[in-house]
Amino acid sequence: MFEVLDPTPGTAPPAGRLAPRLDTLEGKTIGFISNGKEGTKGFFRHLDQILREEYGVASVVSRTKSNYSAPADPHIVAEIKGWDAVVSGLGD
Amino acid sequence: MQFASRSYSADSISAVQELYHSNGWTDGLPIVPPTREAVQECLEWVMMPPDQLIGIEPVRGLAITAEKLAINAVMAGCLPMHFPVVVTAWTAMMQDEFLMHGATASTGGCAVLVILNGPIRLEIGASGTFNALANSDRATAVIGRAIRLCLINLLDDRPGVIDRSTLGHPGKFSYCVAEDEEDTTWLPLAEHRGVPKGASSVTVMSAGAPRQLMNEWTTKPEEILETFAAEMRANMRHYSIHPGNYAIVVPKQLREHLQAGGWTKADIATFIHERARIHRREWAEVGKGAVVRDRGDSVYTAMDSPDQLLVIAAGGPAGGFGAVIPPWLGNKSYAVTLPIGVCVDCEPPKK
Repeated sequence: MFEVLDPTPGTAPPAGRLAPRLDTLEGKTIGFISNGKEGTKGFFRHLDQILREEYGVASVVSRTKSNYSAPADPHIVAEIKGWDAVVSGLGD
Repeated sequence: MQFASRSYSADSISAVQELYHSNGWTDGLPIVPPTREAVQECLEWVMMPPDQLIGIEPVRGLAITAEKLAINAVMAGCLPMHFPVVVTAWTAMMQDEFLMHGATASTGGCAVLVILNGPIRLEIGASGTFNALANSDRATAVIGRAIRLCLINLLDDRPGVIDRSTLGHPGKFSYCVAEDEEDTTWLPLAEHRGVPKGASSVTVMSAGAPRQLMNEWTTKPEEILETFAAEMRANMRHYSIHPGNYAIVVPKQLREHLQAGGWTKADIATFIHERARIHRREWAEVGKGAVVRDRGDSVYTAMDSPDQLLVIAAGGPAGGFGAVIPPWLGNKSYAVTLPIGVCVDCEPPKK
């Protein structure tokens, strides 16, 4: 008989919380945080257009991380307060 | 000793294997059952209580405790005497400049290369000679495997979960090398990087697979090193031009020519830094013309400075071979060197 131990943390890592959902996108400010890879450019350009033309978004603010393998830079995170919603995108 | 980990009962060794494989807790190979006794012996060896905090993983805020490292080290086959290396390697990996989350999650698929220096190599039987980058000995095999099992089980670095590697490489099973300090006139890597002489230490690097080279047809240091530089240029052309920590592994046959010429590690790094550089326009020759754009004349160096080159004396005594180990993604992750046994709480744990 073996008594053996669990090699995993056993508890979930600290999780973030989703912001309350918006009732509408109309007139809102949406932020994009891109990881800066090639594939993000066309995607976010297209999404920008859809949000403005089809959903009446007032403005889109685009930001790109300085290091695509690291969390967003603190100055970008600080800006999020001024946005109604944020889309974080990978370009692989 | 009180453990925080949940325990399971299993009737047989095969039941243990199935329990761990079915939960996704392995690297696909059989594991050593992490019993309370075996885990306790590891912790007693380093004089740490189970809840000793080794560090907080910086991106996801995961607390890494000695208990969890020890469980995974036992699973990998580590004996208690191997455990200080695992603890130190993980302490090094959690330094911000190593960027552990990015390096281990990336599609780039690098592994953590662990380089051992100092007396601990001899104490644990780590060998830096024959087959140095592969299954050279028990110690480096199980230490390298422990690093990976800890990543799998503590950071959820499972393929397709946090580990998004497109290809990966065999070093992700185990990637640990001991420097052959006894058979070289060069400074050990760790001492070259500022660790006091005689201290045992661990260097970790986010590393691609080794690229083997051969030059048995000269004794001139410049010509030997030109082959290393050419392999680095090839990596820059075929893989990535991001500058950062490269490692080169120089076995005895080529090392003796360099040493006979009076070349130190610093001399080698200076030479390589001058020679390992390419023009952006060279990308057009290897099918990457689309990204040359109007910057064809721009020059890129493999390292930002000579001190980014890790020169490692290791390998069997015969053969004019060497290896270049490229970085995962240049300066996105820096190699980290830490001495073993820098103890902040050296009271033995209460039983």
